[in-house]
Amino acid sequence: MASNPILKISKVSRTFGAIQALKEANFEINEGEIMGLVGENGAGKSTLVKIISGFDPGFKGSYQINGQEVKFETPSQAEESGIAIAQQELSLIPNMSVAENIFLTGAKVKKFATLNTLAKMARPYLNEVGLTDVDPTTRINLLSVGEQHLVEVARLISREAKILILDEPTAALGEAESRRILEMVERLAANGKSIIYVSHRLDEIFKITKRITILRDGVSQGVQQTKDIDVNKLVEIMLGRELANMFPAKADHISNDPKIEIKDLWPDGVLEPVSFSAYKGEILGLSGQLGSGAGEILASIAGALKSRSGSLTLNGETFLPKSPSQAIKKKIAYCSSDRKKDGLFLGRPIFENLTSPALSAISNYGFNFGATEQDFSKNLAKEFLIDVRRMFDESGLLSGGNQQKVALGKWLSIKPDVLLVNEPTRGVDVGAKSEIYQRMRDLAARGITIIFASTDIQEITYLPDRVITFYRGMMIDEHRLENIQTPTILKEITDPFNETNL
Amino acid sequence: MSTVIQESQQPISAKFLQFYKDRTLLAILLSLFAVMFVYGIFFTDNYLTITNFKAIIRDAALYGIMAIGLTFVTLSGNFFLLSLKETASICGVTFAMGMATGFGSPDLAGNFMVSLLAALAVGVVSGVIQGYFVGMGGNPIVVTLGGAGILYGIGAWWSDNLVINFTRPHDAEWLGTGSFLGLPSITWSFILIAIAAEIVLRHTNFGRKVYLVGANKAAGKATGHENFSMAIIVFTICSVCCAFVAVAFVAQMDSAQSNYFSAEFGSSGDMTILVIATVMVGGNSIMGGYGSTLRTSLGAIFIAMVDNMMVLQGFNSGPRIVGVGLMIVFSIIVFGLFAKGSRAQE
Repeated sequence: MASNPILKISKVSRTFGAIQALKEANFEINEGEIMGLVGENGAGKSTLVKIISGFDPGFKGSYQINGQEVKFETPSQAEESGIAIAQQELSLIPNMSVAENIFLTGAKVKKFATLNTLAKMARPYLNEVGLTDVDPTTRINLLSVGEQHLVEVARLISREAKILILDEPTAALGEAESRRILEMVERLAANGKSIIYVSHRLDEIFKITKRITILRDGVSQGVQQTKDIDVNKLVEIMLGRELANMFPAKADHISNDPKIEIKDLWPDGVLEPVSFSAYKGEILGLSGQLGSGAGEILASIAGALKSRSGSLTLNGETFLPKSPSQAIKKKIAYCSSDRKKDGLFLGRPIFENLTSPALSAISNYGFNFGATEQDFSKNLAKEFLIDVRRMFDESGLLSGGNQQKVALGKWLSIKPDVLLVNEPTRGVDVGAKSEIYQRMRDLAARGITIIFASTDIQEITYLPDRVITFYRGMMIDEHRLENIQTPTILKEITDPFNETNL
Repeated sequence: MSTVIQESQQPISAKFLQFYKDRTLLAILLSLFAVMFVYGIFFTDNYLTITNFKAIIRDAALYGIMAIGLTFVTLSGNFFLLSLKETASICGVTFAMGMATGFGSPDLAGNFMVSLLAALAVGVVSGVIQGYFVGMGGNPIVVTLGGAGILYGIGAWWSDNLVINFTRPHDAEWLGTGSFLGLPSITWSFILIAIAAEIVLRHTNFGRKVYLVGANKAAGKATGHENFSMAIIVFTICSVCCAFVAVAFVAQMDSAQSNYFSAEFGSSGDMTILVIATVMVGGNSIMGGYGSTLRTSLGAIFIAMVDNMMVLQGFNSGPRIVGVGLMIVFSIIVFGLFAKGSRAQE
């Protein structure tokens, strides 16, 4: 890489009050390069990204583009210099067409333009991001989430962005949709765009980047050539310590004692009624991409999603919960995949979140005078490695990893028999991930039956004792202990019927 | 454990923000109180008299009680009950009908308990019905605006738009104009209701649920607290508060008419606006999940003080309603600023 970097940041620091979000960060990217940016939550990734994209002018240090010192006061100034960012939360307007969304700002568009003109103008950009089969007049909300991400990028390209920042573009996507994003990134780089790729998914980082910038505690740990390091080395640099094994050991054997029997469950998103059992003290993984129905099955066991038919048998009782509150009464806890939507009360203190499902446990005759609740929630917090000193802080102030611990930990308050978790570690940094896995294993060892659904292939391979695979709403197969192998599972959740010759 | 250590570096600022948010609104309100008070002492005749302060709290009591009811609705994330004055209107008509005619049976005419229970029952029914529709997913604004029309219409229809008089002495005088230990009954009611409401919100499961559901309906549902029953209960609480205020006011006036709570009520025009202003000025979040009835009570006293001052300064009702409107706008701006500050790190 002898060429001059198109963007170069050196010795940048940024403080917010007493917090030093960035201490000394260096970053550079060449033309047509894919640069990975990784680090734990709180390492300063998002601060760096905000500085690069002009959202945060209040930093110290040098910022050069093509060797020229620049100072952006607003994001639009950065955009004029060809820097654009695709945020995790999309900024598309759902009920407008693809083409209208691409030319939303109206730049380059004549005063009067029909949808057809816009559609024609949008075509090349859509082709560039790989949406060749999408009609530009389609409404955005008819596209999948992955396709919407691609449209968002197409919009950035239409404004002649030369440096694109993709912040966790695949966080909410399944395996197949992620692949489209990765293909797009590679295509764009081949066309001479520079891409800053921010992700928690290390496998993706290794697949597409040439170089990786690692941030730890606000300090950049030097640029690594991707081909020179492996995952363990990368994680070691990220954490500043060796992560011997992120996943706890599996159980020795699976008990023969079925804890919960699921019979003929048939929610929307699943093609045919599904039946299976989960045993006492095991971790059962439901593996499938988005749209496979795995998440829907979990939700319907918990009463959060309606099932057309079926029943559950738990502790000798047969029933079908019609709402989460009925499931909670039967000691079934369900942690959804979207903690901000329905997992946390972001504006309320942590201790209120922790005790929210079990108000009767902390009160007498409906009255609650604090002390019992304090002890109760402190114990929960300790068990889940949440900082007890922060109990009175709003949960919205926590980092993603700690939020997930609260969202999951609150369910221990009802002393569940069955714990259902959809995407246990979405948007969670590596350190917190490993803690969550360890806790799930501890709970299982205590006799709680854990069923989780995940699109993360590492998680589904190494965490559970048993895996059931799903593909497009159908149950495909079941694997136990040492028979859980990544290639088999990948095959079963992407192409179980040999429809394509991959 | 590195994440735990990392997190523990943040609490100073997080706590600071929390403290800041909790105390600043209160501090602003209290300093405004002080400014008003000092200004009153030096520039307003007859301000610093016990009679005047009793009058202030008495005014505050009427819309304060309704505002405490509305606070439950707002805190639980169900926005506002816009049929406040209409609910009060039909309950007032019901009470007066009971006092004047005994609902057609002369034996019951003038029976305070029957009239009171009838008025409260009307409040419960209208609250349950509106709460039911909101709980089913109806938009609170639309549902309660519809409810407003229906309630007002029924009251006007039933009373033929006439003033219903009942003559003194009657059994409700103690509530309307009576006093106890030097304070009017309505003031005592306000104090007791304010204390009870604060205890319910702070120290009962129901109170906690109000905050949780208000902070996040979806998470509330997931943890077993559904907005359906919540909406019914909070709308009922609010409507019953309206009914109680209506009874006290009608008992004071010895008469009722369906438009009593529209223009000529209290001192500052429209009852609904006044009550909503009270909730807002207290610094309760419109989106729910943050606030308290204590704030509302302070808000009621603050508005009553401002209004009282304007009366003593000789302003007529026009400028005084403008004053209430300005207070709503001001409180929304202040709250918006601090609510944003607290989420800076999200």
